[in-house]
Amino acid sequence: MFKTFFFTELKYALKQPMVYIFMFIMALLTFSATCSDSVQIGGSVGNVLKNAPFVITIFTTILTLLSLLIAAAFFNNAALRDYNNNFNEILFSTPLSKSGYYFGRFSGALILSTLPLIGVFIGIILGSFVAPLMGWEDADRFGNFYLATFVNNYFLFILPNMFIAGTIIFSMAMAWKSTVISFVGAMGLIVAYLVSGTLMSDIDNETIGALSDVFGIRAYALETKYFTPIEKNTLSPGYDGLLFVNRLIWMAVGAVVLFGSYLRFTFSEKNKKVKESKKNEAKFVAPSVIPSFTPSFNGGVAWAQFKSFFFTNFVSIRKSITFKILFVFSGILLISSLWGGFKYFGLQSYPLTYEIIGAINGSTLMFIIIILVFFSGELIWRDRENKINEVIDATPHGSIISLMAKSLSLVAIASLLNWFFILCGIVYQLAHGFTRIELDVYFFDFLFSNLPLYFVWSGVMIMIQVLINNKYLGYFTSILILFLWSILLSMLDISSNMLQIGAGPSIRYSDISGFGPGVLGAFWFNTYWSLFAIICLMLAGALWNRGSSSSLGERIKYMKKQVPKSFRMAISGVFALWVGVASFVFYNTQILNDYKNSDAQELLLADYEKKFKKYENVDLPKITDIKYFIDIFPKDRDVHVKAIIKLTNESGNPIDSLHYNYSDNWVPEFDIPNSELIMDDTYFGYCIFKLAKALQPGETIEIELRSKYITQGFQNGTGNTSILENGTFINNMAILPTLGYNAGVEIGDKNTRKKYDLAPKKRTADLEVNCGKNCGVNYLTNGHSDYIHAETVISTSSDQIAVAPGSLIKQWTENDRNFYHYKVDHISQNFYSFISARFEVKTRKWNGVEIEIYYDKKHDVNIDMMLDAVERSLKYYSENFGPYYHKQCRVIEFPRYATFAQAFPGTMPYSEAFGFVANLEDESDNNVIDAVIAHEMAHQWWAHQVVGADMQGGTMMSESFAEYSSLMTMKNMTDDPMKMREFIKYDHDRYLRGRGGERIKELPLYKVENQQYIHYGKGSVILYALQDYIGEDNVNKAMRTFLDEFKYRKPPYPTSLDFLRHLDPVVPDSMKYLVKEWFTEITLYDNRLIEATYTELDNGKFEVKLVVETTKIKADSLSNETKVPMNDWIDIGLFADSDEKDLMYQKRVKFDQPQMEFTIMVDSLPAKAGIDPRHLLIDRIYGDNIKMLKEKE
Amino acid sequence: MSTLKIENLNKTYSNGVKALDNVSIEISNGMFGLLGPNGAGKSSLMRTLATLQEADSGTAYLDDINILENPEELRRVLGYLPQEFGVYPRITAEQLLDHMCVLKGFTQKKERKEMVHYLLNKVNLFEKKNKSVQGFSGGMKQRVGIAQALIGNPKLIIVDEPTAGLDPGERNRFYNLLAEVGQDVIVILSTHIVDDVRELCTNMAIMNLGNIVFKGAPQTAIDELKGKVYQKIILRGELEEYGANYPIISNKMVGGQPLIHVFSENNPGNGFEHVAPNLEDVFFSKINTGNVIV
Repeated sequence: MFKTFFFTELKYALKQPMVYIFMFIMALLTFSATCSDSVQIGGSVGNVLKNAPFVITIFTTILTLLSLLIAAAFFNNAALRDYNNNFNEILFSTPLSKSGYYFGRFSGALILSTLPLIGVFIGIILGSFVAPLMGWEDADRFGNFYLATFVNNYFLFILPNMFIAGTIIFSMAMAWKSTVISFVGAMGLIVAYLVSGTLMSDIDNETIGALSDVFGIRAYALETKYFTPIEKNTLSPGYDGLLFVNRLIWMAVGAVVLFGSYLRFTFSEKNKKVKESKKNEAKFVAPSVIPSFTPSFNGGVAWAQFKSFFFTNFVSIRKSITFKILFVFSGILLISSLWGGFKYFGLQSYPLTYEIIGAINGSTLMFIIIILVFFSGELIWRDRENKINEVIDATPHGSIISLMAKSLSLVAIASLLNWFFILCGIVYQLAHGFTRIELDVYFFDFLFSNLPLYFVWSGVMIMIQVLINNKYLGYFTSILILFLWSILLSMLDISSNMLQIGAGPSIRYSDISGFGPGVLGAFWFNTYWSLFAIICLMLAGALWNRGSSSSLGERIKYMKKQVPKSFRMAISGVFALWVGVASFVFYNTQILNDYKNSDAQELLLADYEKKFKKYENVDLPKITDIKYFIDIFPKDRDVHVKAIIKLTNESGNPIDSLHYNYSDNWVPEFDIPNSELIMDDTYFGYCIFKLAKALQPGETIEIELRSKYITQGFQNGTGNTSILENGTFINNMAILPTLGYNAGVEIGDKNTRKKYDLAPKKRTADLEVNCGKNCGVNYLTNGHSDYIHAETVISTSSDQIAVAPGSLIKQWTENDRNFYHYKVDHISQNFYSFISARFEVKTRKWNGVEIEIYYDKKHDVNIDMMLDAVERSLKYYSENFGPYYHKQCRVIEFPRYATFAQAFPGTMPYSEAFGFVANLEDESDNNVIDAVIAHEMAHQWWAHQVVGADMQGGTMMSESFAEYSSLMTMKNMTDDPMKMREFIKYDHDRYLRGRGGERIKELPLYKVENQQYIHYGKGSVILYALQDYIGEDNVNKAMRTFLDEFKYRKPPYPTSLDFLRHLDPVVPDSMKYLVKEWFTEITLYDNRLIEATYTELDNGKFEVKLVVETTKIKADSLSNETKVPMNDWIDIGLFADSDEKDLMYQKRVKFDQPQMEFTIMVDSLPAKAGIDPRHLLIDRIYGDNIKMLKEKE
Repeated sequence: MSTLKIENLNKTYSNGVKALDNVSIEISNGMFGLLGPNGAGKSSLMRTLATLQEADSGTAYLDDINILENPEELRRVLGYLPQEFGVYPRITAEQLLDHMCVLKGFTQKKERKEMVHYLLNKVNLFEKKNKSVQGFSGGMKQRVGIAQALIGNPKLIIVDEPTAGLDPGERNRFYNLLAEVGQDVIVILSTHIVDDVRELCTNMAIMNLGNIVFKGAPQTAIDELKGKVYQKIILRGELEEYGANYPIISNKMVGGQPLIHVFSENNPGNGFEHVAPNLEDVFFSKINTGNVIV
């Protein structure tokens, strides 16, 4: 009996096109992702092959998620086919076996729903053969296929996921006998997946998140978190570890669900609810006269009809079960996302209004779009499905009125939801004691971002439904357009928002700059798209299938009759208006503010390199003195720049021409005495001036450069986010033409380079031992200048303060504008920021240095803490590294359009987004403000006093040192090693994650090629560990002597080898291996505690026994890892508490065997034991280092 | 006094079925019955008149309203109850009728309320006005449908198979109502229940295969058959033989045996006896011109 049902289920479905269509879609998706980089599913980067087992697994897992809806169709069909065809009563009256029927149908649907996913494999395999053959991708981006990848993916992901989803969908379908409920069940599973995702967003909850994910996707993500490219290319998912546990758990859950539902299932029809019909006892009331009112058909009736339509539609959505369920789902998602709060590095931000808006849009927008899609179909087909269409259609109303009402009721429902969520957000804010609730921000964000989106999509979808004239095809088309349209556009490399339905410049609220530069563009794009939606609706109104259904052709034929004259005029009016707005938008975004899409941009860079690379090594003078004159006009968002520059020939050869690069957005003017412009390529922004008299070695000339940024109209994108009405932040690199060929813009990606026939390029110049000319350039100023004097006269509007590096010499007002004259007190790198905003200023003096914080008046909570942080850094660095040479330390807030902090001489712009809004009331948390400020302050030494030569290892002396310095200020402040472990955890994670995503190759720290995961992550971790092993003073001493040798010195700039030379004397011989293995090699550990037991002794003491396994691994540049013998000093320790806060015992012991045992006597009973309890070493998996103690049996 | 004038109306569906074949007819105030078997083209004609379907050619005028060219005008004076009348889920009877009132051009809330109450009363649903229509029985739903067709002062009321699913009491009430309003306006009643037409209509037409095969007063039609209809109870096995020899109008079972009616100018003898013709005989004689046993 089971067999019969199983095979009929398969046969039935295999005769239908659905399986093949879905399989084809899956294959097409993965095929295009394999063949082209513009289609991305999860994505592979750099050294990871396009058909790597890891990539195949990611494709499979992501697409199993998508195929839930397909599964819903199969399972629903298997469960309900008999009921829907009213065949159940016939079928169930035959002698069937219940289990055969139930499980036969289920298993059939299960196998069917896995079939489309076979398409994933087909697509990848085909793609991997076709792409190299057709020359779409290089053959070397493809590797071997492994049978295990496919088999294991099928049995670890495809089959189990379809099983688990199937049990739930099948059970729901059986219980409720409703197709809608089945799809809602599938959607519920997706929600569950997303919710488990919010759990995993912080390191602390990763394991729970991984286990709670129904589909095992996050478990796989966690297992492969630290996978290196080699591992990604060769390892298939296996039947072990967290992933396998996850699979077992959820399979078991699925089995329980299925069995439970089986027990509930019965062939006999449940007693249908029969409503007791009350006897109609009403006496027949004698008919009175028909009220004789006359209908009116003036303008008022249209409005009344609209309202009535609107009301009935609105009510029908609001009362529908689907709506309620979707509403609950999105609510759950929102709550779970708010639950986690807004974290950065384990630190909560205040629940600012814009954060709440972000959370709302992030968790609910998708659902609102689903609601729009679903109910656009529902509303259009409602009359017909309820068989009331003929009655309604025969009434004297305009079709457009009814369609407008449908679309607006959709918009109203979406808006209502939106505002309900906003209300939740406000409650959340108040519950957290946060009272700066910006209703206006909620309102304008809604008005600018969401409302137009709702309207445009509902208009477009209604038109689709009307034109397609089939509900399900209509849904299919809507979804296709929602998702595939943008993919198609990106494949065609079209980035104009005029073609991306409902799109426009994104707006982002900042406390400093309000909604920012995108507002004007957003307004016009919204107008453009809203008019488009109205046209869609009008078109739909004209082609509305009124009366008996007829084909599109017929409807077009009879359109004229259905459309009254006034309506035709309205259509042409709106169309004309739309064309007008479209032309205006086109003029602004394509002509006035032209932009290049990514292909054109790539081509430009490739051509630039081909054309001008020959000038890379021409001799150029250096900037030896500079005066900036900058006028900022915040209202107009214009900036005028003038610079008087002294150029000195330090090359040793006469220089007869000056090469300049300039950017598209800034209009330059050159005033170079006795020179002639002999070449000016405005397309690439490259020009050459011939000097009448060559500049001899040692000779200096003075030139003047002017440059203007003029904001005109609006752009396709948000526009320039550094020149703003409030909060302008620009630097000297961006605003002026730069000398010589700019190698920095060359395309870096090796595959892209190949595409344009460019020779492979080194990421960074090789580290040289005895460095000559190549050490003449540092990575900060690229050889354009060395340490020089600089001053700035900067002006802005009367309500703003303008800041440039240096001491304020003079301040005045002129023409109702504020002027400031700043002069840098000590020679510095030519690396300057210019900022203007309505600032509050708080200052403090420390040893003659003025500490100044410039901040927005809304952000005053953490200012004192920032002053403390600056002071603490000044103190520690002055004592340990040497004096500070500026007379001021400025921390200046800038808008959150970028999230970083940056150090310019004595001046540190710091983003609004992290720090100024962090909630530091609970001081036990890690303090990101202290860390970031200490890091940027450290750059005043490490980057501004000494900076590495522009070659491998160069960034170690700035970024690693700054991060280390920052950690040391933290260490001195907290004096709690366990808190420090919390803090460096993020650096460990950054390194291990980063090396997994390496695109080219990993290098040892001393040869770091500006790789952030190495110079920040690994650099700080090993320097921190080093000071623990050889002493803080010794490391600081090496750093100081290194600094003393190179401080503010002319080229040659130092290399990492210079530092190692200074480090060597302070490292005792027994520890020399650390420097070798950590700095000049790639070394990792994999330590674990195998066993931890205790025995209580007669004297009341405790004997603790630990069994520890240690492994040391060395990796080569391609992450090939080899185990090496262990002969290292590592700590073992005991914790008094299970929270690992109190490290009651620790000892550094030498490990010279892979497995070792230790016995420790302690007075009181420890809770936990661990190897490397303070997490000093880079441990591939740290989670197994610490264990609860067990009593010995 | 209104007149509905239909001339040379043609409609062929895309599958080749000729639904309306050169239909011409003139109808004035009063109840007009449209009889015909399933698929005769009744609904096509009704839909065309209700502006829900385009005709391929021909004209239809209600007084000076050109129905085909100016559907909006007609809709203002139209009451229409289609064959299948469904209702919106999750909406009460009063809300539904109120919505329909607005669509028919009544903008004053007070007027609508009065009208809706009057109509609900009329169709005996006043007590249920706040109940969801979805939960109504078929007959109750049909009554709601009738109520909505009477909203306002339609000049033309088209009702398609209105009494299906009504119990005899409801049917009577419905016809009383229809007769009441039908005095001053044109009511087109499409049905295949012959008795309905006989009881209610002053004029009628019979349609078959897209053609009007008869039009006139019911009594006139009956009179035409007077003395020409004969009946006989036969054995079941003889049906075919009789069919071959006599122009059978209809056959039906009476007490388990076929009772046949035949059309004949003279008494055919052979046990046939004379009967007074009824409208059913007219109906079958008009549509069963081939004298096929049905």
